[in-house]
Amino acid sequence: MADFRLGYMLRELWKSGPGRVGLVMMAILVLTSIAVVIAYPIDFGSSRWGNPLVWANNPKSAPPVWQNFVRRANLPRHFEAILDEPTEMEVTPRATRRVYRFTYEFTASSAPTFVAFTLSDVVYSARPPFVTWSLSGPDGRSIALERFTVNGPRRSEAAPFERYEEPRRSVVGSDGRVVDDLQRFFSESTYGAIDASSISENLEPAMFGVPNIDGTYDRLLGEYTFEAQVLASGAGDTIGSVGIVVGGGVFGIMGTDALGRDLAEGLLFGLPVALLIGISTATVSTILGMSLGMISGYSGGWIDLLIQRAADIVANIPVLPLLIFLVFIVGSKLWLILLVLVAFSWPGLTIMVRTMVLQLRTGAEVEATRALGARDSRIIVHHILPHSASYVLAQLVFFAPSAILAEAGLSFLGLGDPSIPTWGQILEYGFRTGAVFLGYWWWVIPPGVLIIITAVTFMFLALGLEPVVDPRLRGKRSWHF
Amino acid sequence: MLGVLLVVQILVVVTLGATGYSDRMLEAVIGEQLRALRPSLAETIRDPDALEAAIATQRTELIGLYGLDREWYTRLPGMVLRVFTLDLGEAHTLRSSKGSNRVIDIVLERIPNSVLLLATALVVTAVSGLLVGARLAGRPGTPLDRVVSTFSAISYAFPTWWVGLLLILLVSFRLGLLPSGGMYSAPPPEAGIARFLDLAKHALLPVITLSVAGVGPYIYAVRTITMNVAQGDHVTVARAKGLSARLISRRHILRVAAPPIVTGLIMGFTGTLGGSILVETVFNWQGMGRLYYEAIAGTPDEMVIVALTFVYTLIYVIARMVLEVLYLLLDPRIRYG
Repeated sequence: MADFRLGYMLRELWKSGPGRVGLVMMAILVLTSIAVVIAYPIDFGSSRWGNPLVWANNPKSAPPVWQNFVRRANLPRHFEAILDEPTEMEVTPRATRRVYRFTYEFTASSAPTFVAFTLSDVVYSARPPFVTWSLSGPDGRSIALERFTVNGPRRSEAAPFERYEEPRRSVVGSDGRVVDDLQRFFSESTYGAIDASSISENLEPAMFGVPNIDGTYDRLLGEYTFEAQVLASGAGDTIGSVGIVVGGGVFGIMGTDALGRDLAEGLLFGLPVALLIGISTATVSTILGMSLGMISGYSGGWIDLLIQRAADIVANIPVLPLLIFLVFIVGSKLWLILLVLVAFSWPGLTIMVRTMVLQLRTGAEVEATRALGARDSRIIVHHILPHSASYVLAQLVFFAPSAILAEAGLSFLGLGDPSIPTWGQILEYGFRTGAVFLGYWWWVIPPGVLIIITAVTFMFLALGLEPVVDPRLRGKRSWHF
Repeated sequence: MLGVLLVVQILVVVTLGATGYSDRMLEAVIGEQLRALRPSLAETIRDPDALEAAIATQRTELIGLYGLDREWYTRLPGMVLRVFTLDLGEAHTLRSSKGSNRVIDIVLERIPNSVLLLATALVVTAVSGLLVGARLAGRPGTPLDRVVSTFSAISYAFPTWWVGLLLILLVSFRLGLLPSGGMYSAPPPEAGIARFLDLAKHALLPVITLSVAGVGPYIYAVRTITMNVAQGDHVTVARAKGLSARLISRRHILRVAAPPIVTGLIMGFTGTLGGSILVETVFNWQGMGRLYYEAIAGTPDEMVIVALTFVYTLIYVIARMVLEVLYLLLDPRIRYG
């Protein structure tokens, strides 16, 4: 009879090669999951992952930063800066002029992907403040990038007027004076007349470079300064914070997707979700399968027949098509998906447990216990359950990876729960937006690798459990490395 | 086996009914018909009140016709029958290649494509499984044997469809060797050998993806079964009689091992059937699996999904029945009836 004390099992698991690998991997996965669960908001899916505002400042579909080292490339890093206090302040009787200065060192092999400004928490008493943004470069260029007036007072609104509680964000586009200014600067500094359309099509390369004869732009490396001037008329007017974003060609340690979402965040969040899917589905379907098997084997008669027929049928149903259908109809809530997974995974275990119970029921041990006057419930709990528990435990560990794979497959077909991001959903979004065909490897490879790592961890544990739960297998290596 | 088919159908129909899905669908159909009817009625009936009354009568008639006034479970038998005959009306947005919007046309034209892909993958798996597995059985413990057994265990943990994505990334995008999806180049070559080669080129990656998932475990199964049989007494006797190794392996080992080997293949196939839905999606292979994806994405097409679920179950059941017949032929000890 197998021994089921936790300490003993862990020790035995540790003795086998795959068991040790599985335990170490599982420990890492569980610890990471706990850290993620603590660090992340509980409604991460809807409040952060699914909220485009959070990701607005990130470059879209950018590879991870370390691609620069691997490929020996030098794509621009992402640059964000924010100032709460002005760099310079000049007070005259008529107005207050605040100047915010940001320096940006341009050393990369290509121009930044975009330039954006943010402004938040403006309070004014009478006339709305006026904002101008300009860029000066190492060759003495001074380009006006944007000018605007803070939204004026609405009718029936009384001072003080509060604006941009949600930060105002604007991307430098070719519709402003940028193109005119660049054109003038290029023609004044001996580059000749450059077509306006050429500049507006290559806005960032033109902002951070000089034109070539063939219509391309050479980089102009060096120190650039972004300057914001805010002119406010009232003495008590305040400006919250002013910031710039210079979009990188690379971002973070895992890159971004087409919405600018930091993939590292989504991938990390996927881990506790995957473990939850695997463990909860495996536990529930194991309990279901075992109970049905016990009932079927122990009670016999028409109940037995009914459960066995049901098991035969469910075991022979093609699972994925029906899963798709059911999830499509009942809706993509995660717990519903898991429930459907459970509904299809019990028959194998039920049939196995039933066979075992049938053997045990007629055995000497049960017969002796019954002769002593034990009730059915006691016989089941004390004399049948422990014997079959070993197989059940191994099955439990085997169920988990298949549940994770099934959820990933459903998510990939677009049936995932949108409020809970999973690795399958990250892959689905990548596939739908063409990441695979554009070669965005950082978006396609990591989710799949994580699915495999998680599934393999369970497989190792199952392989390591084999000799523990079945003493006859001890010493025989069922597994080679 | 036919029981499975029936149970699946009843499950599908009950789900549709109990969740109120079929009611909503029928209401949408009736609403659509009334909208179409309104202009023609308006031409003959001028009085607005009379027009509304006429439309209300039409609505009651239609509700009676579709049985929306009865509870969903009374409509159940008719629904099961309609699913069995694939008489499922019209799709919302999906069209067959000839432009028909009838569900039956859309689904039927996809079946050959799916069967082609599945059958090819099955043949590849079977041939490589038998060749490599039987060979490995002769030399257990060699490095190749270890590689195969490791691979077969690990491949349970692989999402097949993701392997497809990886192949597209590597072979199609980076190396530019094979097309990343579809069945033919645009424009498709004229009939004949060129067309066939074009199809083969497009089918290569999906077939590899589908086979990779099944081939590891299958080689391993063939190896184990063959090894067990090869250790049997009758093989020792045959060797003692001095029969040639070829004859022994053909008549005494493989013949005996055939039934479980075939079972393994069909069992593997049923796994592949589910995987093919995802693999077809990945490679834009115009089969039923891709149709699933198309019916889910965008405007959902419920009836197409119902029809597909039925056809997949049907294919599955047919495959299992073929297995039973094969078993009967291969193992003379089994007799039904």
